[in-house]
Amino acid sequence: MGNETAQVEQRIRRYWYVDGFGELVGGGGMCLILALYFSAEQYYAENTLIGGILQAGLVLVLIGGMILARRLIAVLKIRVTYPRTGFVEYRMDRRNRIFMSVLSFAAAGILAAGIVFVVRRFDFIDAMVAMTGLVMGAILILKQAWSTKVARFYFLSAFSLILGSALSVSGFARGYNLALFYGLMGIAFGISGGLTLARYLRENPMSTVAGNGG
Amino acid sequence: MGDELRGLADLDRIIHEPARLLIVTILSTVESADFLFLQREAGLTKGNLSAHLGKLEEAGYVEIKKTFKGKLPLTVCKLTKAGSKALTLYRQQMARFIDSTG
Repeated sequence: MGNETAQVEQRIRRYWYVDGFGELVGGGGMCLILALYFSAEQYYAENTLIGGILQAGLVLVLIGGMILARRLIAVLKIRVTYPRTGFVEYRMDRRNRIFMSVLSFAAAGILAAGIVFVVRRFDFIDAMVAMTGLVMGAILILKQAWSTKVARFYFLSAFSLILGSALSVSGFARGYNLALFYGLMGIAFGISGGLTLARYLRENPMSTVAGNGG
Repeated sequence: MGDELRGLADLDRIIHEPARLLIVTILSTVESADFLFLQREAGLTKGNLSAHLGKLEEAGYVEIKKTFKGKLPLTVCKLTKAGSKALTLYRQQMARFIDSTG
């Protein structure tokens, strides 16, 4: 019985990702914003006004981007997903959230320590982009793939790890390296989300009969 | 064995019905869900789901509200505290019965 409940829970958690908007807007959008940010930051010298503003504004870019992405996902789900396959309001499981956050931070910490170790031994890699790839890959595995069992997150996670490692030895300037990483990850998220959305729309055409009566 | 069988007779019949058990189980994992989502998840027809939700609402296990999300009209269902308690009790009773007979 407990097992069946767990299966229902997992199916309902997976429902959030059924339309691909999370990847398309949350992943793809955020990554492309960061790609633009890092290339602009690299382009403008540190001592110029725009360069200074950009350097100080990363947190604002991140928070603003996340708020914007959340709002956009909510609007898209209201227009596209809920009329087709229904609405769910998820319960905030605080204990589980705290556990997953602690686990993610611990994994990120271990990875960062590993990177520092590698960098000290082999000075030819760009540690920042390698770490970014590893942390994003680990978070994708722990927070998305593991808890929802959505297979495409394993691929995205592997892509992040490979991309981060490959770019770390590419020899580009750090800003462009990070811009390239986020740009390519954004495209990967976009393709994944786009394909998921296309399949979802094909499989769930809008019903002409109002489906939400009770 | 006799006591366990008598325990089975005490099961909450509102929840014991398979379709209603599924509805209550789905609602126990979320804050709320709308009619369309429940219909798809439970694999029930509109009329069937309406009838089961009516019985659950009558028993005070489910709360049903008509609301809007943006401009989209929704019939949102939520498990009440009484519904949550009833499901927990039902699970305990079933677990006890399975343990004693298995």
